[in-house]
Amino acid sequence: MIRFLAISFLSIFGLASCSLKTTEGLRQVHFNKVDVENPYFSNSEIDYVYKAKIEVYKKNLGGILIVKKLGPENHRIVFTTEFGSKLFDFQFEGDTFIKHFIAEDLDKKFIVNILKDDFKVLVNESSKVLEVYESKNERIYKTQADKNFNFYFLEDRSEKLKKIVNTTKTKEKVEIDFISSEDNIADIIAIKHNNIKLTIDLEKFKKE
Amino acid sequence: MRNYFLLLFFIVIGSSIQAQENAMSASEITSFKEKVIATAKTTKTIKTDFVQYKHLDFLANDVKTSGKMVFKAPNLVKWEYTNPYKYSVIFKEDQLLINDGGTKSKVDIGNSKLFKKLNQLIVNSVKGNMFNDADFTVSFFKSSKYNKAVFIPKDKKIASYIASFELLFNKNDAQVYEVKMIEPSQDFTRIIFSNRDLNNTVDDSIFSN
Repeated sequence: MIRFLAISFLSIFGLASCSLKTTEGLRQVHFNKVDVENPYFSNSEIDYVYKAKIEVYKKNLGGILIVKKLGPENHRIVFTTEFGSKLFDFQFEGDTFIKHFIAEDLDKKFIVNILKDDFKVLVNESSKVLEVYESKNERIYKTQADKNFNFYFLEDRSEKLKKIVNTTKTKEKVEIDFISSEDNIADIIAIKHNNIKLTIDLEKFKKE
Repeated sequence: MRNYFLLLFFIVIGSSIQAQENAMSASEITSFKEKVIATAKTTKTIKTDFVQYKHLDFLANDVKTSGKMVFKAPNLVKWEYTNPYKYSVIFKEDQLLINDGGTKSKVDIGNSKLFKKLNQLIVNSVKGNMFNDADFTVSFFKSSKYNKAVFIPKDKKIASYIASFELLFNKNDAQVYEVKMIEPSQDFTRIIFSNRDLNNTVDDSIFSN
């Protein structure tokens, strides 16, 4: 009896820990695509400017998020208040992360790490495909992201990037949804964390 | 050779542009301060449009936002951004009342020295009357178009956010028409006021969320 219980528990535990929600019920398929691209911050001629609304543990914080591609694998990301004062100013250059500025109150290791991880997923342009899955109308590309994985959800016909899910081996950490009407421009971006109560909603500045 | 002349030309032009702005003399400072303080005293309400430009060196264009600002003496201020998004902040007693596109929140600034200072700075810069502020080193300049006061913070914490702060005043009516905040990185925010409406009735209900 004890043995049976032990086996049941172990198998339940084992099953639960192996299965990642992201690919549940999806069919793994063969693939030709070598790299998967995120085109939304890939044009160095565009100043990407978004109104940001952040909700962290039921507290609200607003601001302006500015992203600029400075060169290949080189992005600058600045967050300011509505009045224009900088809250942080980061740069991703290849694998190097540069902290140009961060407001004193935000300069805590765990906050910097969350921001760094989120924005790295957001601006990373191209990654090597490890596995491909298929759903009814999407193709899902799995890529390596340091110790974690990113799953890129591309709409079948348009090949438009709809979603990126960042996971560990067993758990979804962050989900980024994109709504895009124009080619390669994301009008709305929603970043949602699963392990902490943090959401970041971004809405692109309208053209004058 | 041609390049040399071109360079010389730009240096001459450049220095003549520079020369248009001069430091005020001691007596000019005194009379300028008096004028601004007198204007600030008679200013009970201000309604004005504004355009804000955020300059970051790496961007092709400044980030432009605009809206309306309302001030009522002694210390009620509302900044309302209307373009390209709706966002307003009311500075009221020890609170900030924020409406971020329908999401309302309140921030207590009673315990925050920095916020109190910021609030005071905003109220005083709208009125232009902040020359006696012991927290800043102030210097004064003049040109044919404007008078300018430059404030450099003494407090290290404030200085880590703002390297200096400039107010530009109309020559004729001594009203502030431009505020410029320069960061230690030399990036800056410029706010330019227009369509100023002075001392007309402003209802208190404007300052609630």
